[in-house]
Amino acid sequence: MNPGLRTSASGMKAQQLMVDTIANNLANVNTTGFKRSRVSFEDVLYETLEGARTVNPQDSQTLAPIQIGKGVRLAAIARLHTQGAPEQTGRTLDVAIEGDGFFQVQKPDDTIAYTRDGSLSVSDTGALVTHGGYRVLPNVTLPPDVQDVTISPSGIVSATGAGGTPVELGRIELARFVNPSGMMSLGENLFGETAASGRPLTGYPQEQGFGRLLQGMLESSNVEIVQEMTDMIAAQRAYEINAKAIRAGEEMMQATNDLIR
Amino acid sequence: MPLRGIRNAAHGLAYYSRLQEVTANNLANASTDGFKVDRLTGRMLDGQSYPVPVEHLDLRQGALRQTGRDLDVALEGDGFLVVKTPAGERLTRGGSLKLDGDGLLTDGEGNPIQGERGPIILGAGKVEIQGDGTVLVDGAPLDQLRRATVADPGQLKKEGAGRFVPPDGVKLIDAEKLLVRQAQIEDPNNDAVLGMIDLVTIQRAYAANVDALKAMDGVLGTIAGDIGRVG
Repeated sequence: MNPGLRTSASGMKAQQLMVDTIANNLANVNTTGFKRSRVSFEDVLYETLEGARTVNPQDSQTLAPIQIGKGVRLAAIARLHTQGAPEQTGRTLDVAIEGDGFFQVQKPDDTIAYTRDGSLSVSDTGALVTHGGYRVLPNVTLPPDVQDVTISPSGIVSATGAGGTPVELGRIELARFVNPSGMMSLGENLFGETAASGRPLTGYPQEQGFGRLLQGMLESSNVEIVQEMTDMIAAQRAYEINAKAIRAGEEMMQATNDLIR
Repeated sequence: MPLRGIRNAAHGLAYYSRLQEVTANNLANASTDGFKVDRLTGRMLDGQSYPVPVEHLDLRQGALRQTGRDLDVALEGDGFLVVKTPAGERLTRGGSLKLDGDGLLTDGEGNPIQGERGPIILGAGKVEIQGDGTVLVDGAPLDQLRRATVADPGQLKKEGAGRFVPPDGVKLIDAEKLLVRQAQIEDPNNDAVLGMIDLVTIQRAYAANVDALKAMDGVLGTIAGDIGRVG
């Protein structure tokens, strides 16, 4: 059997995976704080048929080794944590991060998750929570008679109560990672720390390289439709070409079979 | 004469089926970061009447693509980064680098990327990699990525996962002109259109060799069956 067939099949599988990833990116083009994923592939083992060899000892003519590659496989699917465009919503408790950092939220099992989705609301106990109902850390509790809330670019939350004078209630802290694409997606726009992401480094917005907070805005998805569509077309074409390579290999085998009468 | 012709045609078939495999591998890696295509050509050697397959590694630059990920590293120019595998030092064109649990900078498969001072351990902080490979964390220089090559890159062997193996006993030399591009990825340097054309050519040439073999076989049949007949 022509070993090239398997090679081409791995190429088709890779392009299929590429299209799947692009489809998921496109499906989340309007998801707040969504980060697009990128698939990376690597070549697989090479079969060395003949090592480097000298063919003409007189003039020491050497030929490079002959190696035949066995196709391609998935290396990683990395989430690209580039900035999404901040979009004006006008809602007081919508907060976008411009620059590095994640909001820290407390999950019911007391673990900490991280998110860029700052569509916050107030729980029945007055705590700032994400739209999934998870508390934002460190805890900021709003008084019951609150009339107006301001969140400054540096994360300071202040509220104006019935008295009319603004009171400082706390400061939102952010966390960042050396390798954010190593984080694990937990669904609900949340990410978790892993060995690959590194330890979280916490700090206040606008300090030590952390981004600033923008009140009344949400970070839109960083998926760019035009880019995804071009990648999709390229993947489709590459899929077809690999299919054609299978066809060519198959016809060559057929020709060989026809030799025997 | 026809016997020799059959042998030549058989060598031709073997050559074209190798060529098909190599082309299939180049096309299968149409989206592989930093992939370098292999080119197989036939060469006539002294005293031989059929082509001997000769392969060479096409190390031409691939297009660079912006990803925005801090640990994506592409190279511009001739040369490689050095990665340490359990089997020894290997060369790589970069790609999507990662961190292991201890903050060690590795390639996609977890092999440590080498700096001028050995493995690179990144603490928590903003990583910046400059054109000359200098790695800074939160603005403070940490180390410099080791940029290297060999005297004759054509003798490099591939071992998969984008790694190149220097021939035994060959020393790595510095590649100071090599530029390191952070947050970018090098596209493979293959050309799908040319690959398509190659496929068609290979298939036709293979068929032609099959036909030649059949013709030669017919001649042999005539000699053995007709000429030799008595009465």
